[in-house]
Amino acid sequence: MNVIEAQNLSRIYRLKNGGEVKAVDNVNLLVPEGQFLTIIGASGSGKTTLLNLLGGLDKPTAGRIVVEGVDLSDLGEEALVRFRRKKVGFVFQAFNLIPTLTAVENVEAALAPTGMPKAERFERSMSLLELVGLKGQVDRLPVALSAGEQQRVAIARAFANEPQVLLLDEPTGNLDTVTGKEIMRLCHKASKERGQTVVAVTHAGYVKEYTDRLLYMKDGKFSNTVPEGELEEPVS
Amino acid sequence: MITHVYALKEMRRRKYRTATNIAGFVIVVATLVALVTTARGWEAVTAAPLKEIGTDLIMIYSAPVVPSGYGCYIANHLFSYPFNQNNLVEMANVAGVDRAVPVLMHRMGAIVFTGIDPCETETNAVLPKNVVEGRYLAPDDGAVALVDREYARLNNLTVGSNVVYMEVEYEVVGLVNVDAANILESHIYVTLPVCQKALPEDSTGLANIALISVSDPRKVDEVSEELVSRWPRATPITASDLAATTSGVLTIGEETAWNISIALAVVAVLFTIRSQLAAVSERTREIGILKAIGWSRSDVVSQIFIESTLQGAIGGILGGAVGYGFAWYFLSTMGGFLAVDPVVLAAGFGIALISGVAAGIYPSWRAARLTPAEALRAV
Ligand SMILES: Nc1ncnc2c1ncn2[C@@H]1O[C@H](COP(=O)(O)OP(=O)(O)OP(=O)(O)O)[C@@H](O)[C@H]1O
Ligand SMILES: [Mg+2]
Repeated sequence: MNVIEAQNLSRIYRLKNGGEVKAVDNVNLLVPEGQFLTIIGASGSGKTTLLNLLGGLDKPTAGRIVVEGVDLSDLGEEALVRFRRKKVGFVFQAFNLIPTLTAVENVEAALAPTGMPKAERFERSMSLLELVGLKGQVDRLPVALSAGEQQRVAIARAFANEPQVLLLDEPTGNLDTVTGKEIMRLCHKASKERGQTVVAVTHAGYVKEYTDRLLYMKDGKFSNTVPEGELEEPVS
Repeated sequence: MITHVYALKEMRRRKYRTATNIAGFVIVVATLVALVTTARGWEAVTAAPLKEIGTDLIMIYSAPVVPSGYGCYIANHLFSYPFNQNNLVEMANVAGVDRAVPVLMHRMGAIVFTGIDPCETETNAVLPKNVVEGRYLAPDDGAVALVDREYARLNNLTVGSNVVYMEVEYEVVGLVNVDAANILESHIYVTLPVCQKALPEDSTGLANIALISVSDPRKVDEVSEELVSRWPRATPITASDLAATTSGVLTIGEETAWNISIALAVVAVLFTIRSQLAAVSERTREIGILKAIGWSRSDVVSQIFIESTLQGAIGGILGGAVGYGFAWYFLSTMGGFLAVDPVVLAAGFGIALISGVAAGIYPSWRAARLTPAEALRAV
C-alpha cells in the first residue's frame, strides 16, 4: 500500500514582476508504507516546496496529494490542522525550535494542541528526549544546545504524535559529518522501529547507508539517475 | 496550556518591548485614576463648606461680592438689599429647588450675629449636630443664644451666662462647634425673629441669605441661573465658585478626566499594536514552525492575545497603584480627601484589559493569515 501518492503535482509561484517559478512541475510520486525515500537535488530544485506540499503546509497549484488514503485537497482548514498534528512529523534544516522554550517544552508544544493532559504530555516528552539521547538536557533552552542536540529535540518533537509520515528537510544540513550520520541513523532506526514512511531531503553523501530509494530532483521534476558529484561526499 | 508558558517567556525575552507596552497601559490607568480621584477629592473639598450646612447653593442678597476666602466671607459683604421672607417661599417653588432656608446675618465690628429658623434642622447656618454643650434653639425662644465655643472660651461664657450684642443681653443656652470651613460661621446665633428685632433698621420679616437645597445636585448650576434671572440682585455661591476662589490649583472635572484617559487608551492601543506587529514579524518563522507541528490558527491567535491582554492587565494593576499615588500626592498638597473608589479602579483595569485585547486583534490576524509554508520561509 502506498502511504503517499502524488499525481500530476505542480506548485507554481507567481512573482510580483509577473513571472512564474515552476518549483514543482507535474510530479508523480508513490511512496509505499515503511519506505525511507531520499530526495537530492541542487538548491532551488523544488525539494522544500515538495515536502511542504506533502505535509499539508502549502497548497498545490495543480494535482492531487493522497496521504494514507486521504486527499488533502478535500480537507478544510480544521481537518488540515489535525492532519499536520497527527499524521506528519517535520524536521527542518535549522531553527526548528522555539527559542524561548526549553527542550522539553519544545516537544510538549507538539502535544499541547491535542489536548493531552499536562502530566502525560510531560512524561511523553521526557521519554522521547531520552530516546534521542538528551535526558540530561531537557531543561535547556535551544541556545544552550549544540546544533546536533537541537536537531535531536526536533526529531523527538516530530515523533511526539506518532505520525505515519516523517518529512525531513535537510535535517543534517547544519551538522558536521559525524553528527549528521548520528542524526540520520537515529531517524532511520526510529522510523523503521515504528514502521513509518520517510521522505528525506539531503545533500549528505552518507545517505545511501540509510535510504531505501534515492530520487534526484531538478527544476521541479524527478529523474532516477543521480548525476556524478551531486552528493557532497563520495558514496562509500 | 503551553501557550501561557510561551506567552510569559516571550514577554520575558522581549523585556524592553514588554516594559514599554505595559508602561503605556500604566500611563492610561494611572492618568484615569489620578485625575478622577483628584477631581473627586477636590470637588469634595470645595463642596465641603456647603455640605457642612446641608446646602447646595447659597443666595446672598447684596451688592456683588468679590470672594475673598472662608470664615466671615459672607458677613463681610452683607446688608445691602435684604430678602423679604415671601421671596423665600417663591424660591422654594422654583423648579429643581427642594427647600429655601432663610438666614439673617449681621455684623458689628468683629462680631457676627446670626438669626436662624430653628425648625430647619438639616439645612441651616448652625445645626443641632454642632451643639457641644447645652441645647439647640427652639422656635419660641426669646432672648436666648447659641455661642461659638471658641468665642465663649475667649469671653469666659458658659451655658447660663449672658452675652451682649448691640446692648441687648441674651442668655447662653448652648455652645456650638462650627467647622472653620463653614462660610456662615458666626459668634452668636439667635432665632430669626429675635435677630430681626435686634437690628437697628426695621428688619421684620427680612433675611439676607437663602440656603438652597436642590433635588438633583448635578443641576446646581441650572437652578442657580434660574434664581439669578428672577432675583437679579442676588449673588449665588456654589461649590464651583468656591473652587474658583482657590487660585493656582488646576481644577478639572471628572468628565474631562475620563475623556483624557480614553484618548490616552487609544494611543496606548496603537502603540501596542505597533509593537506587537513587530513581535509577530520577528516571530514569523516560529509561527510557521508551530503551525507545521499542528497549532491551529486559534492557538496562534490566542498566543498573541494572551501577550497583549496580559500586558494590559499588568499595566492596569500597576496603573491603579501609580494613579492613587499621584492622587494622594496632589490631594495632600491641595488639602483634599483621597477616597479609594473600587469602581474607578475596576474601570481603569477594564479599560487596560479591553485595550490589551484590542491591541492583539490586528497583530494576531497578521500572524494567523500566513500559510505555514509562507511563515517558514521567513528567517
Ligand atoms: N514563496 C515563493 N515565492 C516565489 N518563489 C519561490 C517561493 N518559494 C520558493 N520559491 C522558488 O521556488 C524554487 C524552489 O524552491 P525550494 O525552496 O523548494 O528549493 P529547494 O530545492 O528546497 O532549495 P534549497 O536546497 O536551497 O533548500 C526556487 O527557485 C525558489 O526561489
Ligand atoms: Mg529547501
